[in-house]
Amino acid sequence: MAAKIALIWPEIALFITTCLVMLLGLSPNKQWRSLCLPASMVGLTVAGVLAAMGMGVGGPVGDTPLPYLPGFIKVTVAGVGLLLLLLQAGLIDRREEALIASGRAFSALRTNRAEYFALVLFSLTGLMLCASAGDLIWLFLALELTSLPTYVMVAMSSSRNRAQEAGVKYFYLGALGAATFLYGFVMLYGGTGTLQLATMAEVIAAEGVNTITMAGLLLSVLGLAFKIAAVPMHFYTADVYQGAAAPVSAFLAFVPKTAGFVALLLICSAVGWTHGESGNALPEALRIMLWVMAAVTMTVGNVLAILQNSIKRVLAYSSIAHSGYMLVGLLAGPGDGTFGGSGVSAVLFYLAAYGVMNTGAFAVIACLERKAADRGEPMEVEDFDDLRGLWKREPALGVLLAIVTLSLLGFPPLLGFMAKLPLFTSGISAGEIALVVVLGLNSAIAAYYYLRIVKAAMIDDPRGEPGAADSAVHHPAYNLRLVTGLCSALGVVALAILAGQLAERVTEASGYIAPVGPSQPVGSATVLETETLPVQLPMT
Amino acid sequence: MLDLFLAQSAFPQAMGQGVLAHYLFVSAAMFTLGLVGFLTRRNLIIMFLCTEMMFQAAGIALVAFSRYHLNYDGQTFVIFVLTVAAAEAALALALVVFLFRKRDSLSAEAWLEMKG
Amino acid sequence: MLLGVTDPVAYLPLAVILMAAIGFSVMNLVLTRILGPNRAGETKALTYESGMEAVGTARKRFNVRFYLIAMVFLVFDVEVVFLYPWAATFANLEVGSDDRLLWLARILFFLFTTIVAFLYGLRKGVFRFD
Repeated sequence: MAAKIALIWPEIALFITTCLVMLLGLSPNKQWRSLCLPASMVGLTVAGVLAAMGMGVGGPVGDTPLPYLPGFIKVTVAGVGLLLLLLQAGLIDRREEALIASGRAFSALRTNRAEYFALVLFSLTGLMLCASAGDLIWLFLALELTSLPTYVMVAMSSSRNRAQEAGVKYFYLGALGAATFLYGFVMLYGGTGTLQLATMAEVIAAEGVNTITMAGLLLSVLGLAFKIAAVPMHFYTADVYQGAAAPVSAFLAFVPKTAGFVALLLICSAVGWTHGESGNALPEALRIMLWVMAAVTMTVGNVLAILQNSIKRVLAYSSIAHSGYMLVGLLAGPGDGTFGGSGVSAVLFYLAAYGVMNTGAFAVIACLERKAADRGEPMEVEDFDDLRGLWKREPALGVLLAIVTLSLLGFPPLLGFMAKLPLFTSGISAGEIALVVVLGLNSAIAAYYYLRIVKAAMIDDPRGEPGAADSAVHHPAYNLRLVTGLCSALGVVALAILAGQLAERVTEASGYIAPVGPSQPVGSATVLETETLPVQLPMT
Repeated sequence: MLDLFLAQSAFPQAMGQGVLAHYLFVSAAMFTLGLVGFLTRRNLIIMFLCTEMMFQAAGIALVAFSRYHLNYDGQTFVIFVLTVAAAEAALALALVVFLFRKRDSLSAEAWLEMKG
Repeated sequence: MLLGVTDPVAYLPLAVILMAAIGFSVMNLVLTRILGPNRAGETKALTYESGMEAVGTARKRFNVRFYLIAMVFLVFDVEVVFLYPWAATFANLEVGSDDRLLWLARILFFLFTTIVAFLYGLRKGVFRFD
């Protein structure tokens, strides 16, 4: 147990920061209040460093069949989380702070800054906890901790009715998804008699997958499909991403999705990629379900993205499609454990890459939204016309958008291409040729709408009279968002150059220890673990 | 009759599969009712209650499985499920109050601005 | 055995308890009707027989502050649920062992989270009524 606590130091650090931020943001002193963002970033950096140190220890740290996973996920979360945090600058309390500056008394009940940053940090803590999970209770709580704050963030992110509509839709479908995977977890417990993922893996390796376990697996995957925005639980995605402010949409596209994929990886690892004829696939029913889900998710995402006019909705549907791509890696499993052959490492690589690219894309939109807000328009970036001639109006934003969009598309020298490649190779080495063909076709479809964004931003002429409001001095928050975008674009380039290093880390992190049956009979092993629960049974 | 009471205080025995099935049936029925209710009703509070019912269905199944496997994992899980359900209830009520003040309506149909 | 009962006779105690419960409540209702004095009148029909006159309708909106109080209550309410299993387990740990310290540290951390929630509520002004 003490080892488990050593594993979660990053989360503890992050949690303590959260508590601090929650009280800081309620201070009547403006200086203290404005410390919220820097304090959050410091906390997250500390958490990231702690996680990286834990990774450096070597040897398995987690207690699941994927024991090397937590360190890598936490470092990734800290990295992308820093970008996401920076993006949240100037989103909350804009009007309230202006009123206070013009002489209104500070009222703790009216400000939302403390809550907002606390919620962001809570969600990131939950995501890190997901990676540390060793049993289903932990996993369930961590998933809920990741999701519950995001519902509030969506509703808080803008004063427009649209944000509240998005918040409600997100919350209700989220509750439905949570109930579904909770029921799946219960069935997994029922079928195997344990909640520990490691023990569960042993039981399944020894006894095979019985009906209840299978039902649990399918329900869990179905419920987790909500988190990763995969078909059939994808309906909320476009509305929510459109309704929320762009910084929050960026958050939604990375954090719950990563949590969902980590949970899926953990559950699939408990079942083991040791079934099927070749002995390195998931059980047949689960394999078919994931296969269909992957194929339909990417197709639906890409086809619907073509039909959209709102840029945020395009990115939302593309986020669905990216989930579909990553499902291929999940399906392929660890394979031979090499970088090209392991689907698990492909998923991890893709998650990190997607986090950076996606944050960049939303950062550009966030900048534009901020500019509109400064001009006093309640405008959001609605459709492609708003992007027209971005290159001429705002050269930095235009180039940024072009880089991240081409990367999302998977244009050869860029990061997105390098992330997509192992998905292809792992799919092929797992023998899923048909699915890989679907993946290839979808990448081609995706080119249409991504290039449409690039064309609007880089080639088309600006709409209306140029340069009218562009000479205005930018708000500090705009600059911070621009910096976020620049960091993301830099990350896209840097990670592409350092792809070899990243691939090494990822391959390490995806180390999979195939479970073998327990040495002793299962029945006696699962009765009571006195080490964890030294209770005198009251009924004895 | 006395024997029966004594038997109940003895060490718990594993539940038979037949009895387990009864519990699972109740639990599955609750889950399904919750799901159907969620998909058909349009009042935000009723919809939320339906998701709560799905959570409690999981709770019933957990307790039954806990008895069936004779370990306490399931019962522990139930406490956590209840906690999360409480957190969701707090959140749901906050959202509903928030929305009601904006639109004076509890119908989900009042919130259909975004389409596509 | 406890849950594995299929013999209908085994449910007899349950039926007895149910009958007793129903019988008791019905008996009380009937007895008060028979034995108690029965006076009717305008004063008797008031909502609060000997207090303030009721004004307005009960179906009106409450101040949102009550919601905030309810939230703070919920925090403590749910927290207590976890203290019971902890206490039951803690008593069985060997006195002076490392485990005991670890378990104590854990629950203290857990209580710390509640204190933070309370402080947050305090700063937010949940407990101020003005």
